[in-house]
Amino acid sequence: MTIYNLYIFDKLGTLLYYGEWNRLKQSGITKDEEAKLMYGMLFSIKSFVSKISPVEPREGFLYYKTNKYALHYLEVPSGLKFVLNTDNTSTGIREFLQNIYTKIWVEYVVRNPLWTIGTPVSSDIFKAKLDEYVKQSPLYGAKLL
Amino acid sequence: MAEEAIFEFLHSEIVNYTLSKENSKENDLSTLEYIGFTTGFRIIERLTREWPRFKDELDTMKFICTDFWSTIYRKQIDNLRTNHQGVYVLQDNAFRFLTRLSSGSQYLEHAPKFVAFTCGLVRGGLANLGITSTVTAEVQTMPSCKFHIQVNRT
Repeated sequence: MTIYNLYIFDKLGTLLYYGEWNRLKQSGITKDEEAKLMYGMLFSIKSFVSKISPVEPREGFLYYKTNKYALHYLEVPSGLKFVLNTDNTSTGIREFLQNIYTKIWVEYVVRNPLWTIGTPVSSDIFKAKLDEYVKQSPLYGAKLL
Repeated sequence: MAEEAIFEFLHSEIVNYTLSKENSKENDLSTLEYIGFTTGFRIIERLTREWPRFKDELDTMKFICTDFWSTIYRKQIDNLRTNHQGVYVLQDNAFRFLTRLSSGSQYLEHAPKFVAFTCGLVRGGLANLGITSTVTAEVQTMPSCKFHIQVNRT
């Protein structure tokens, strides 16, 4: 079990935060480009999933898996999107992402009067609390080599 | 959580509003302090209605540190010090308006904006209890904050 990295997007597609823990391979493009690419893909998957669904989709897109990693997606009603890459054996990521949203995002970003709505997060305390939460989680695991 | 958050959000908007008004000098915290003063003055009426009269000044300060503080900030003052000559220092180690800001020195330059209202609140509360004072605040590392109360004797 291990956690690779986390993207947080707002409903307009702005990358609000990017956190990285055990990422072993870099994409070779800038973070900005990577974020755009990521958001574009998520946007497409979302519309693809809802169009192609043979039954009424409830929550829509939840995650995808490859043979090496899994990408988990949580979209909250306000349109905020949490994207977490883990190895493909991890479980319980949905609750984990929910907790990041309610316990860390809402507490240390939304309730921080110095954060301007719709801008990337620069607060040290948010970063520290997120790091602490991720590292305490059993999902974090040992660093894979 | 809900009502606390509303108070917090309203407070931070009041801070933004009073400091961004046109024609107002930059870093002029007096409006904010005055809003706090009137709020404190009024709120004390409600908080002390079940209380007997206070014995002395120290007794009043203790009330501010315990009941007053916990009604407004859901916690008590962590430390009260005095030189017994009209100077009191109230220390809050996790001051509500600063806890989400930082846990060190980041944003330290913004700290005065978020303590001015509370200085007024304390001053207003004391004024209505018959103590004229000057209240200032000092922030060294967030989220801890010290309020200095200087009682003006006539």
